[in-house]
Amino acid sequence: MSETSVEGLPVELISADLARGAVDLQLDEAAYPLDALYGAAYIFIDRCYVLIDRPAAGRWRVSLSPKQAGADAAQLRALAGEFANELLSCAWRHKITQDNRRVIEQVTTEAIAGAMGSPSLDDLAKLDFTGQALEDPLGIAQSWEEKYKKKKAEK
Amino acid sequence: MTELRFHRDVYAGTVVDEAVKRFGAFATFALREEPQHWVVQLTAPTPEREARVAGELGNYALGTTIKHGGARQR
Repeated sequence: MSETSVEGLPVELISADLARGAVDLQLDEAAYPLDALYGAAYIFIDRCYVLIDRPAAGRWRVSLSPKQAGADAAQLRALAGEFANELLSCAWRHKITQDNRRVIEQVTTEAIAGAMGSPSLDDLAKLDFTGQALEDPLGIAQSWEEKYKKKKAEK
Repeated sequence: MTELRFHRDVYAGTVVDEAVKRFGAFATFALREEPQHWVVQLTAPTPEREARVAGELGNYALGTTIKHGGARQR
């Protein structure tokens, strides 16, 4: 193998193999989860041969090789840069999805429940209205007459 | 001979089998299992064809794994 560094980028993260016409990226799993990697790789498989490996626990290695043979160092560098940008975008979207998962699930559930339509008379007949609807320690829900009616003793 | 190593955390084994069957007409394949990898060795009549079949097989395995929700979902 004749791996060389890519201009302006650390060799331990990105290296190019001109003989093979490929560029390898070493990535940290903590920053780039597998789902983000899948997302970025899927975008590139129409113009590159993409191979993902896991050389060690917590590390990914992505190998990109353009389908058009004869890529030079500049083309490989540009390819690695585009992939890194796409990967960052996918990782960020993945994080947003994870952070908002509960909200998304709740909104989806409410939308599906709303789409089921209003309850039928039979459904309403089955509802249990015997329980206390809400606690009212200050008597706010009481009517004026109920709250201030004279007691029998006061008459 | 070209050797492709598909990590089990990334690629679904059934998809690798499917990919080998799909490209069976274009090269000769030998499959092997290792603790961490599905290993595919392929041989084609010319180096150019071998490189192309290897690349397309890798893309097919990756793309199909992603379509099915990843290696662990299967």
